[in-house]
Amino acid sequence: MQLRYVFSELRQSLRRNLSMHIAVILTLFVSLTLVGFGLLIHEQSDKARDQWGSELQITAFLCKARDDNPSCTGEVTDAQKQAIAKVVDESPEVADYHFETKEEAFEKVKELLGPEKFEGPNPAATADDMPESIWITLKDPDQYQGITSAVIGLDGVSSVRDQRDVVGPILKSMRLMQILSAVIAVVLVVAALLLVANTIRLAVFARRREIGIMRLVGASSLYIRLPFLLEAIVTAAISVLLVGGTLAAVMQFGLEDRLRESVGFIPWIDWSAFWYAAVRIAIIAPVLTLVPTLLVSRKSLRT
Amino acid sequence: MIRFEKVVKTYAGQVAPALDQVSVDVEKGEFVFLVGTSGSGKSTFLRLVLREYRPTAGRVYVAGKEINRLASWKVPRMRRQIGTVFQDFRLLNNKTVNENVAFALQVIGRSRTEIRRLVPETLELVGLEGKGDRLPDELSGGEQQRVAIARAFVNRPQILIADEPTGNLDPSTSVGIMKLLDRINRTGTTVLMATHDAGIVDQMRKRVIELDHGRVVRDQAQGVYGFQH
Repeated sequence: MQLRYVFSELRQSLRRNLSMHIAVILTLFVSLTLVGFGLLIHEQSDKARDQWGSELQITAFLCKARDDNPSCTGEVTDAQKQAIAKVVDESPEVADYHFETKEEAFEKVKELLGPEKFEGPNPAATADDMPESIWITLKDPDQYQGITSAVIGLDGVSSVRDQRDVVGPILKSMRLMQILSAVIAVVLVVAALLLVANTIRLAVFARRREIGIMRLVGASSLYIRLPFLLEAIVTAAISVLLVGGTLAAVMQFGLEDRLRESVGFIPWIDWSAFWYAAVRIAIIAPVLTLVPTLLVSRKSLRT
Repeated sequence: MIRFEKVVKTYAGQVAPALDQVSVDVEKGEFVFLVGTSGSGKSTFLRLVLREYRPTAGRVYVAGKEINRLASWKVPRMRRQIGTVFQDFRLLNNKTVNENVAFALQVIGRSRTEIRRLVPETLELVGLEGKGDRLPDELSGGEQQRVAIARAFVNRPQILIADEPTGNLDPSTSVGIMKLLDRINRTGTTVLMATHDAGIVDQMRKRVIELDHGRVVRDQAQGVYGFQH
């Protein structure tokens, strides 16, 4: 197959329809950037949930050897733990629960604050300084009072943390941002689809003479459609690069350089979340341009 | 080479068929005129040969294949055996004569060496040697039609379809075009030409098929344009 013609057509068409292609690229750029933010926020809330548990959870920290709570008489005993587990187990509001060991708690703190603070001869804390805890998942986030008051009075319980106070507002605002970006992204994606369809329709119209001759002399339908499909891939690729650049800039200048320093208590996402979002966008973008191109070109180039 | 068996073609939304029980057999190497008034079904006939449409009923065979049974993806390959020429030339005005003719070969994937051999050869055949670098606008109507014929013939098709090829040309230019089509016919190519031009049909004395309201009303081996009893 001679591709010289295909590529010269592609170049010509990209130039001829430049304003339309820019419109497509910009629309895709904005909508996919929002999709990207949505994905990053999704990753961020997963990360927050791993650290603190969800709104459905309350955490009861158990007594450790030198506890701040004067009612603790020393390290929680196995008998006390069994008694706590029994109470939790028998509460109707509880969906599920699990114990967290000192080591697990220590790992979380290390990840949040950076492992270097906990190494060497003079560590900020050791695993022994961490409390054991029991993570209780509720069936309904509003049915927390009964279990909270039941657990707080038990021997061996130092304090109870209601996750709704800690995680609730963060998760709520993240969810709001996610919904908002999803709604705007959907509207813009629809606009992008229509723009792509229109661009292709224009391009088919501009080339109708060539296309008529190609069909007449027996060019295959793939050959006729190839310039259009390549156009779709080129616009998608440019959009993906723009979106990737923007998200990377946000990660570097917004998150790495600022938020991670100034807001240390939140476990921030890292570059793996960026790649998670980037790969998904690199798949979505060509689909968004190729699907309308295939549909429109099939309709207007039917043999 | 072309066989119609009781072909009926009714367009969507119309009651009267454009072609009605048409049975025609064109042998390899024949030169056939298709005559009739506007709306008699000539264009429909040609489009069925090109498989731009499928017949409503009946069968159409081209080059031994029943083309209404042909899968869509095989249609392009079948069309490579047919060259087509129109009244309005349909040249690409931004391409030179050479490029216009080469285009037909490029888009079906012929190699550059073949193109370099076939294009000048064909331009010489149609009498346009030395004009390969001109643009269509710089040529006369007769010359433009020669370019169109060169483009239709450059792939050496078995069938050449011409839809009113002299419709836009003056009589003396038309004679030149007809001589050219006759020369192409002598190479063994089947020529099927739809026309209104009575003078040309009378002069050539070839087979004439006349259509009227979608029916074949005459099929004469060496006919003239007007009906002769």
